[in-house]
Amino acid sequence: MGVVQAIMSVFADDGDKLRCINCADGRTRITFLARSPLYYVCVSSWGEPESVTRFHLEYLHLQILSVVTALQLQRIFEKRTNFDLRRLLEGAYTYLASLHPLDLAMTTASLGALRIEPSLRNKVADALVPTAKIKDMLYVVLVAGTRVITLARPRKHSIHPGDLHVLLNTVTSSSVRDAPASWLPICLPKFNPNGFLHAYVASVRPAAELTLVLVSGGGGDGFERVRGWCETVMKKLEDDGTLDAVERAAKASEYSVADLGIQGLRHFVYKNRAHVQVTTPRWEEPYESLGARRRLITMYQRIHDAIHAKSGQEGQLKLQYIRTEHESVMGWITQPFELYITLSPRLPKSAVVGAANAVARWAKREEARLFLRDAPVF
Amino acid sequence: MADAAASADKSIQVKLVLLGEAAVGKSSVVLRFVSNEFQANKEPTIGAAFLTQKCRLEDRVLRYEIWDTAGQERFHSLAPMYYRNAQAAVVVYDVTKAASLDKAKSWVKELQRQANPHIVIALAGNKVDLVNNAAASSSSTTEETSEDEPDDATATPAELAQAASGDGLRAVARDEAQAYATEAGLLFFETSAKTGEGIVELFTEIAKKIPIEHILASTRGGGANRPGGAASGSNAQGNVNLDANNQTPKNACNC
Ligand SMILES: Nc1nc2c(ncn2[C@@H]2O[C@H](COP(=O)(O)OP(=O)(O)O)[C@@H](O)[C@H]2O)c(=O)[nH]1
Ligand SMILES: [Mg+2]
Repeated sequence: MGVVQAIMSVFADDGDKLRCINCADGRTRITFLARSPLYYVCVSSWGEPESVTRFHLEYLHLQILSVVTALQLQRIFEKRTNFDLRRLLEGAYTYLASLHPLDLAMTTASLGALRIEPSLRNKVADALVPTAKIKDMLYVVLVAGTRVITLARPRKHSIHPGDLHVLLNTVTSSSVRDAPASWLPICLPKFNPNGFLHAYVASVRPAAELTLVLVSGGGGDGFERVRGWCETVMKKLEDDGTLDAVERAAKASEYSVADLGIQGLRHFVYKNRAHVQVTTPRWEEPYESLGARRRLITMYQRIHDAIHAKSGQEGQLKLQYIRTEHESVMGWITQPFELYITLSPRLPKSAVVGAANAVARWAKREEARLFLRDAPVF
Repeated sequence: MADAAASADKSIQVKLVLLGEAAVGKSSVVLRFVSNEFQANKEPTIGAAFLTQKCRLEDRVLRYEIWDTAGQERFHSLAPMYYRNAQAAVVVYDVTKAASLDKAKSWVKELQRQANPHIVIALAGNKVDLVNNAAASSSSTTEETSEDEPDDATATPAELAQAASGDGLRAVARDEAQAYATEAGLLFFETSAKTGEGIVELFTEIAKKIPIEHILASTRGGGANRPGGAASGSNAQGNVNLDANNQTPKNACNC
């Protein structure tokens, strides 16, 4: 640890930020990120672009800030530069570790919405929105696992995808999920890196991982008020059968790439740029194994890096196509969407382009079901 | 009317908070009480978990609203919010970890100073299953133990290893804890969330000691100016999700 700190401070003195070291084996890379007063280091041999590693480290930083605010960190390390942060993070390791590098929503910096009938989504939305002003109420979100069904927010406060990932990662940690309800302090760093909000998390249909999350901007003693609204929402959702319908929909929300009926198509990630949301089919052969999945995601990440010119490439590419012995992968970025598709390597490039167009048409047609388009405001 | 606190099913709501050092077994004690289950590798609580469970006595039914708090240092400043309106508290320590009793004592002191003066406090020495067999024959080869090790991060694995090896040594004598509890006016139990020993007794004895008349009186006196007080009448119905566990009343206090 001391070594890392020494190396980093030398570079910092030079006014030159140490970014990464490529090891002699040609595969391993050590990536550094300084977010004062903390240093993050990642050793990886997956072959993902450096920009991706750094992005993950940024997320780890956000998740740490959700537990210890930036202000607390600053104060602690002003007093004691050798403070062992582990003391403050005690009990948080499991969900720090659960930030998943293979999470496609995170990789594309967007949120994952649950595929559901728009009418049902609207019914939920109607139930979530506070009818009268509830002091300090910030976000009311119904999720299935980490997929958002709908989210109600005050007109003035949108929610940053980074904050949403941090929130969802925390509320899906097993100790919160196992409890019928929890009340926890959480810092959403993009909202305010220096203060805690409080989240009331109710596990409403554990079998479908349906969770109702209510975030309050007030102090911890706002509990009764927030719980009161949670119960009102629950009653509305239960009484007219909406919750049962949502539970059924959540269980059936995953889809197969075969449903699209596109020749040779194996997998894709479609991001709706206006709504900052992604949709992706469930993993199927030949990507059932973790190794194959990781290989494919690394390919997506490289293409993502290229089409966004994240590594100092000269200009953004609109289209990037890579063919390996395993698969053909293409990335395509346009104004309304970003698309990554995977096909059998035996198909010609023209077929890949044709498939991309077909997926884009499908996503446009299905948009209302795939994405959360008009999250209610109050 | 008294039925503000005694809701539709005539149960009386009692707010109970669990306090104690991290990893002594607070969540496990609650899980045993509410669902009659035990999880060997329970993950640390974040913030506080909120659960409910009914407790039937001969002449009345109590509905516990339980706050299971996280024991980590960083959550300490939140504790007053949970115990401020509580009518009962369970302060838990781990019978194989002496330092956890010290922590329990400091919680008791804080409660006696700052909580509701009528609060019923119970002290629970948990994980008694680890010492039940090896009680008499403590092994002689005691190496430098980690008890006074300041770094929690290393103390925990050591403790786990000790537990896993099956000869967890009793670090807090029953008599000592009992004497302290008597002196401080606490109920006292040794419990095991793992085997269930002492758990029902713990919650039942608390229930018997709760000054019901006092709760009802304070409710009648106008719940409105006691936010979050005993009444919370408006929340009594509709919380189907929180009550899901009560569908198996076999685990409630069976007395
Ligand atoms: N042997 C034994 N282990 C227990 C008992 N209660 C809890 N544990 C274990 O101790 C650890 C911490 O328990 P937990 O309930 O999370 O403690 P908390 O932090 O006080 O809520 C977990 O691994 C539990 O499985 C018990 O009565 N006996
Ligand atoms: Mg716990």
